[in-house]
Amino acid sequence: MAPLLSVESSTKRFGGLLANRKVSLAIEAGEIVGLIGPNGAGKTTLFNCVTGYMHPDEGRIIFDGTDITHTRPERICRLGVARTWQVVRAFGRMTALENVVCGALQRTNRIGEARARARELLEFSDLRGKDDMFAATLTLADKKRLEIARALATRPKLLLLDEAMSGLTPMEVAAAVRLVRRIHSEMRVTICVVEHVMEVVMPLSHRVVVLDYGVKIADGLPQAVVRDEEVIRAYLGERRAAR
Amino acid sequence: MARIALAIGALAAVVYPIPLQLQGTTYYQTVGFLVLLNAMLGVGWNVIGGWAGQFDFGPQVFFAVGAYTAALLYVKLGVDAWLGLLAGVAVAAVICAVLTYPLTRLRGHYFAISTVAIWMIAQPIGATWEYIGAAQGLFIPVRPRTGVAASALALQFSGPAKAMGYYYAALVLFAITLALMAVVERSKLGYYFRAIRDDQEAAEGIGIDSRLYKVIARSITAAVFAAAGALYAFWALSVFPEQVLELNWGTLPIMATVVGGIGRLWGPVLGAVILIPISQIMSTTLGTGPLAGRGIDLIVYGLIIIVIAAFRPTGLLSLPWSRWFRVGRQAIA
Repeated sequence: MAPLLSVESSTKRFGGLLANRKVSLAIEAGEIVGLIGPNGAGKTTLFNCVTGYMHPDEGRIIFDGTDITHTRPERICRLGVARTWQVVRAFGRMTALENVVCGALQRTNRIGEARARARELLEFSDLRGKDDMFAATLTLADKKRLEIARALATRPKLLLLDEAMSGLTPMEVAAAVRLVRRIHSEMRVTICVVEHVMEVVMPLSHRVVVLDYGVKIADGLPQAVVRDEEVIRAYLGERRAAR
Repeated sequence: MARIALAIGALAAVVYPIPLQLQGTTYYQTVGFLVLLNAMLGVGWNVIGGWAGQFDFGPQVFFAVGAYTAALLYVKLGVDAWLGLLAGVAVAAVICAVLTYPLTRLRGHYFAISTVAIWMIAQPIGATWEYIGAAQGLFIPVRPRTGVAASALALQFSGPAKAMGYYYAALVLFAITLALMAVVERSKLGYYFRAIRDDQEAAEGIGIDSRLYKVIARSITAAVFAAAGALYAFWALSVFPEQVLELNWGTLPIMATVVGGIGRLWGPVLGAVILIPISQIMSTTLGTGPLAGRGIDLIVYGLIIIVIAAFRPTGLLSLPWSRWFRVGRQAIA
């Protein structure tokens, strides 16, 4: 069976900088894939290319049998890809409920139905009782949960989480990890998480892909990836790797 | 509390011209007409400016499109005013959609500038296009009607009841606009407009076509402006470029919206009820007498707007009215 998402030799340049160089990556339906790498490795660029905010200069991106290399974000969402943002982008002057309703309206035109779905998702995302709070007034952890609820409301097949756990306290991180696991098991959504906190990605992911300077340097089981020479060099530097 | 205020306001709006009519002071009915016209324009502008968050400083173009379309159909083909008004609404919405789609590539200040540019382009077109009367414009001949119903259907009121007739015509159009916009606010459109305002990228990420919905928002605004323009044409009995393409048809409703409360359905209504009478009173009091002709009325008017903008940038409707009136509510309960 063809993978749900396949990125084929995608290259993205910003002037002289190669943000992604011939990156190939396949995500099978039902997986949780961790995408890691040091700052500036090109993780977010890859996300932007997959979700249509940028288009690769070379290579192809296929989602669920459709070539989405040059497709706009709203079309890609309709095909079943949803994402969250490294820097949260909640609709600040709308309530939490309204934020999620906007996502739910992707799959229905009836406001009543969208509101009911949104309430369910707020509850699912541990935001019970915060329906009528303006998104701008929520804590960072709640805003991140709200973004996830809003993304889920579009009924994605693939959910891309861009650093959904950075900036959170250890307790909030644990709650976020639980939420990601529940999305995977209860909603049967395929998930790709970008993170640079190894401790979060390793236990959560079925498979880990490592980017460094725009190039994929490892792709495999978490246990194998942490022992990979190149990965250690990228994360810890030459001296540690030599030892 | 809000319901009681609403009921009182609606009642006041309906009975307002009657004592004036009995008394014979029709001037204040005309002030009422202008309040309703600007309130309606403000409610329309709120769609693109308040909900969709796109600063449109050229909506007066569509006021002119509505006025010209209705006047042309009446003068050249003898089409009734209300049909002409509907045609003006349709023409304005289509022209707006065609003009706005390319503009939606621009964002922020650049979008705002481009809307002004379109207005600037419209002015020489209006002043030189012979078919629409060029600089002289069009004159709408009065065909006297007998009876209230015939006058109302033709949107032509004359004689002592003229001011009252147009007041009620404006009230009807205003009420229809407000009701329709209330529906839009609660629909998918209302949610999508506000999503784009708050974060365009995030909106696109959940499947919202930002360019399409900006075009829809501005076309709704254009439709409201065109309806008001058509009504204004039949009230003024003439349409010429300097009159219907005047900047004030854009700035007054925008100021009313900002002063009353941008992004709130009733904001522009409150703003128009406050600003338009003040401007009229200023020009009839400070604009006459020893200080006449020195623009004192405009200075004072400008100061009032600056004070409101400085102390309550989110508008008067955003003041904690419900807290202030809580005593009253408990007394009722």
